[in-house]
Amino acid sequence: MRNLKLFQLSLIFFSSIPLLPILTLAFSAENPTDRRILVLLDDVSLKSSHSIFFSSLQSRGFDLDFKLADDPKLTLQRYGQYLYDGLILFAPTTERFGGSLDLAAVLSFVDSGHDVIVAADSNASDLIRNIAAECGADFDEDPSAVVIDHTSYAVSDTEGDHTLIVSDELIQSDVILGKEKIEAPILFKGIGHSLNPENNLVLKVLSASSTAYSANPNSKLSTPPSLSGSAISLVSVLQARNNARVLISGSLELFSNRLLRAGVQRAGHSKKFDKSGNERFVVEVSKWVFHERGHLKAVNVRHHKVGESDEPAIYRINDDLEYFVEIYEWSGTQWEPYVANDVQVQFYMMSPYVLKTLSTNEKGLYHTSFKVPDVYGVFQFKIEYQRLGYTSLSLSKQIPVRPFRHNEYERFITTAFPYYGASFSTMLGFFIFSIVYLYSK
Amino acid sequence: MARSSTAKDAQALIQSLRSAYAATPTNLKIIDLYIIFAVSTALIQVVYMALVGSFPFNSFLSGVLSCVGTAVLAVCLRIQVNKENKEFKDLPPERAFADFVLCNLVLHLVIMNFLG
Repeated sequence: MRNLKLFQLSLIFFSSIPLLPILTLAFSAENPTDRRILVLLDDVSLKSSHSIFFSSLQSRGFDLDFKLADDPKLTLQRYGQYLYDGLILFAPTTERFGGSLDLAAVLSFVDSGHDVIVAADSNASDLIRNIAAECGADFDEDPSAVVIDHTSYAVSDTEGDHTLIVSDELIQSDVILGKEKIEAPILFKGIGHSLNPENNLVLKVLSASSTAYSANPNSKLSTPPSLSGSAISLVSVLQARNNARVLISGSLELFSNRLLRAGVQRAGHSKKFDKSGNERFVVEVSKWVFHERGHLKAVNVRHHKVGESDEPAIYRINDDLEYFVEIYEWSGTQWEPYVANDVQVQFYMMSPYVLKTLSTNEKGLYHTSFKVPDVYGVFQFKIEYQRLGYTSLSLSKQIPVRPFRHNEYERFITTAFPYYGASFSTMLGFFIFSIVYLYSK
Repeated sequence: MARSSTAKDAQALIQSLRSAYAATPTNLKIIDLYIIFAVSTALIQVVYMALVGSFPFNSFLSGVLSCVGTAVLAVCLRIQVNKENKEFKDLPPERAFADFVLCNLVLHLVIMNFLG
């Protein structure tokens, strides 16, 4: 009986071994793309109405776990380990999540370096508004307000209330939106938000045109709208200091099959696009959010004296040294060389004594050489690289610098020969003087 | 007229100084010569430093200070062995010279250490 139990246990153990590679595919420093994503919906029908977006994620290798937002068994972590690497909140009206998930759980999920996509909509719940507010995006407080634009709206068969607006005011960043320019304008129907000016990590990715404003379309506008013009952000992203990325969208429909497939014609323009820019936009932005792009790593920091190859434990003042670092960018599948001409290294002690721009061999290796300053103390090689859309690189490596040893100073300097001569002639003079003085009587 | 009388005065002054100095004992004259040698060596070094710059500054300092120190010690010796100086009449000249030699040894020891 006991043997049978042991057999069962070992069977479970050995059958779980093939699962191990799957578990290790999860987010790590070596493989920064997210793998397991929890998708929270407030209605099961969203799974089919937004299927193009979800299938694009699945085709890129993401493992989507669809749950209803009020599922009583919801949890992000078990035994202190996160079960998911990313979270998609497509539940704009949910007031309370089921299970153990709440605002604090979402925030600590981000604090531990995981990525989140939040989509709000008109009548967004306080919970969703609070999550966005914690990320630096403040949605219009009026619950019935949506973004209206009487100039830049999508032409449709019925005149409508101009809440389906068109925007092409995208952030100028190849790393967030992909190298290829999104030609077709983007359709948006939802609520606007403003960015908290105190949060300098949050960025406007898609902003409204200058004629847009945020108000209730069904009532007469009696007071000036609280949000108007290009101050309205439609879609924003946040990259936290721990490189966690958060996307905040004021529209859930932005991701829907209906808008992804819709043709678009901007009011007042004759050009009609067969397909809106939404699909390109949501796919490219989701690639960025889930670290398929713009994730840098720096490895193999090396330094040595010019002409040597071993790394010394200490430098002497005025030594000539060479510094190397390799920087790679994650492309979603592999690490590719990162090419830029603005990576700088500091030789730092309280303040940078040397600031040099590194030159690259276009294969990821960055290199520079410089002279150690004429100051001794404990220095650091520092790289602080923060660029829009890229994860921040912050490297520092400590290295002491010593003064000359007493026997390393130059001896018998030609310029000093007259001084040597004077000293010795004075000694000789003293000797002669002593003799002359003693024997002159 | 005034010019020639000034020249005549200066001439008379130098004349009287020379005749007064002629009465100085020989050993003091030797000391004076030695002092002149030391001070002129120091001056040559200062001029040289002004020309080539102060790079091996420690060498310059030791070169000049050896001359200045020698001159100062020689002046001290001159004060002590001067017969007309009543302040040191109890100090024998041999003792004064021994002090002078000892001080010079110390001075040159320091100079040699500072020269390189």
